[in-house]
Amino acid sequence: MDELVGDDGTARPASAALLALIDSLGTSTLVERQQVAELDILTMGITFTVYSDGQNIDRAWPFDIIPRVIPGAEWDRTSAGLAQRLRALNLFIDDLYNDQRVIADGVFPADLLEHSANFRPQCRGIRPKHGVWAHISGTDLVRDDDGVMYVLEDNLRVPSGVSYVLENRAVAKRAFGELFSRQQIRPVDGYTDELKRLLISLAPDGVVDPQLAVLTPGIYNSAYFEHSFLAQRMGAELVEGADLVVGDDDCVYMRTITGLERVHVIYRRIDDLFLDPEVFLPESMLGVPGLMRAWKAGNVGMANAPGAGVADDKVVYAWVPDLVRYYLGEEPLIPNVPTYRTMYDDERRYVLDNIGDLVIKPANESGGYGIIIGNRATRDELRAAAEAIEADPRNWVAQPILSLSTVPTLVPGDDGSPAVEPRHVDLRPFVLTGETSYVTPGGLTRVALPKGSLVVNSSQGGGSKDTWVVDGIFEPTPAQQQFETLQHQSQLGGI
Amino acid sequence: MALLSRVADRLYWAARYMERAEDTARIIRAYHDLVVDFPGDVVLRWEPLIAISGNVVSVDTDPDDYSGELMVLQFLIADRQNSGSIASCVAATRENLRTTREVIPREAWQTVNGLSHYTGSNAATAVRRQTRDRFLARVIDDSRRLDGVVDSTMTRANPYRLFRLGRLMERADMTTRVLGVRAAALLQTNVPGDNGRSSDPLSDEVQWMGVLRSLSALQMYQRATRGPIDGEAVVRFLLYYASFPRSVQCCLDEIRSIVLTLPSPHDVLVALDTAEHVLAEARPIASDGHELDDAMDRVQLAITGLDRAIHDRWVAAG
Repeated sequence: MDELVGDDGTARPASAALLALIDSLGTSTLVERQQVAELDILTMGITFTVYSDGQNIDRAWPFDIIPRVIPGAEWDRTSAGLAQRLRALNLFIDDLYNDQRVIADGVFPADLLEHSANFRPQCRGIRPKHGVWAHISGTDLVRDDDGVMYVLEDNLRVPSGVSYVLENRAVAKRAFGELFSRQQIRPVDGYTDELKRLLISLAPDGVVDPQLAVLTPGIYNSAYFEHSFLAQRMGAELVEGADLVVGDDDCVYMRTITGLERVHVIYRRIDDLFLDPEVFLPESMLGVPGLMRAWKAGNVGMANAPGAGVADDKVVYAWVPDLVRYYLGEEPLIPNVPTYRTMYDDERRYVLDNIGDLVIKPANESGGYGIIIGNRATRDELRAAAEAIEADPRNWVAQPILSLSTVPTLVPGDDGSPAVEPRHVDLRPFVLTGETSYVTPGGLTRVALPKGSLVVNSSQGGGSKDTWVVDGIFEPTPAQQQFETLQHQSQLGGI
Repeated sequence: MALLSRVADRLYWAARYMERAEDTARIIRAYHDLVVDFPGDVVLRWEPLIAISGNVVSVDTDPDDYSGELMVLQFLIADRQNSGSIASCVAATRENLRTTREVIPREAWQTVNGLSHYTGSNAATAVRRQTRDRFLARVIDDSRRLDGVVDSTMTRANPYRLFRLGRLMERADMTTRVLGVRAAALLQTNVPGDNGRSSDPLSDEVQWMGVLRSLSALQMYQRATRGPIDGEAVVRFLLYYASFPRSVQCCLDEIRSIVLTLPSPHDVLVALDTAEHVLAEARPIASDGHELDDAMDRVQLAITGLDRAIHDRWVAAG
């Protein structure tokens, strides 16, 4: 199904104004606006880093000017579902590192935890503020042919992409300015303020004006642009591991030109295992020796909490609906994609028998790596996948092949000239959880650019779109109409 | 407002690289004016310009490029192997600012980012005369724009001070290098056995005008000095005239006023006193290529000492 165009070929109500405008502009004007947008991206320096040919290259961010539109009422339900899901996941993580009631009550199997690659025994017994571990989450949503929006995966470690939500909006406002004045499109700019408020709430007790820092692995990381962006927007320091030092007092300091200065809250964008060589990988050059000590002592707040990743592997995913019921006593507001757990004999047998009709996913990879799509894989690839599942059943899950929804996208058509054609998309909203919850209105829409492709990851050639949550459609006022007519004439050289 | 030592280092170098790119562009532009002003039967060679890179570099010669113009400008404008070329300096400015975006105004970043995209795709063709002037003008204008943005929108705190410090250090250094170029030209154009002394007064005046132009100093020099253009007066003006912002003295004065506002500046002030002393003692004879060259070397060494003191105090510490 298409997000903007109904089955009968007419515009869905929330997209009517957008599609009417696109029609009236024609492809050549659309292409001009696309080029202006790309130039904006280049001059604003909106980039992402890809590793290619042995080098880390800073590339312009790929953006398609035709936005994805979501009706406000639908988004309200989705947003409530996301907040609910993250509340449950945080109660689950806190439980795993403390009382483990969920295992004692037989809801979650103990051997799953024993084999979890992301459970950090070093975090046992810690109770972070608000009981929250995964403060920032990027949850991937997809819509299937049945029109239902499903959660595809939870990203609770160091999810990235939110900077592009904000930057895409800035670019889209320039590309389709006339629609922003005519429609109520929910603003996304509030995210960094909400994030700042959340980080401040994690400061050690009694600290009035906490020093915030964003901890980055450095300029070669694929998300460096975002680390810098968030630090800029929050007025936080952007620090690398070597800029920080933990003192004998178990407090974290940064090296400044005036000497050491205390840091109170760290938004870390480094994976758990690299955070602190004293506790995790001793050879890590990215982290800060003693950081875990300081965190455990309550002398520094950290988001996301180390160990939060235990709840985002693709096997745990299959239990999330149960966890929502168990911890909250509520029915999940957003469904999971049905997921087969190959660790169970009957489910594994089903998967092996139907492997050509399923998506096979490794439990602990991100970025779309290692995924096998049954109906597109070769016979050899399927045989290799089956063997891998038999060898390590705990490390795999399988799901039915969803047909992701599409959004009209400006692409090179079959004859090479620009055309507007449907392309598959997913959606990554960002959820902040602290004392309260915040969900970005919309999120990052990623689009698979080759015809028929389902791979949306920007590291593998995917593009992006702005996402509009639209609350009301307004006819233009006479004054607006007149203004736009004048604008149009002047573009045609009439004025 | 805290300033990380690592960020201090990058701001300082971003400013130095930008200033070097701008000044190199100014020098090339002025030298070009000089070349076309020269009477037809005299060939003014381009090799002396290499001296602004501070190195003795031998570059390949091309029989069609009889004045050395293309090869020298390839080296100074587009050569990415030369860390002092305009293309390299602009790219280095961008890399340094890309890692300090949280402390600089957004517009400052966009100025440098835009310039970097421009130089990246146009440096190679800017070696040719037809396209060169437009390229150099863009570098100079964007560098000025960057200073304008910083001056009008950046909080007066330590990050601002480190950026200013980088600008002034490089500017002082480049002024001595421009005089070094003049010294190299004197040594090259003079008749052997004449002990490096200039002989043709007319071409001498034109060349000193070129020196002033390359520092955008001609008009201010003429307002400050009476009488014809004269080598001794030009050198005095560029080294000691404290009211002219590109004179070495003025740069050092401004550096002092900034250093005094930074934390625990004692060691840096000592290095600054030394630099001022070396400058005051230099007093070279303008018409003697050897002497001018030696004097500029001494001042450059003193500036390098100051640079090291700044580095040790605010960058390596912390």
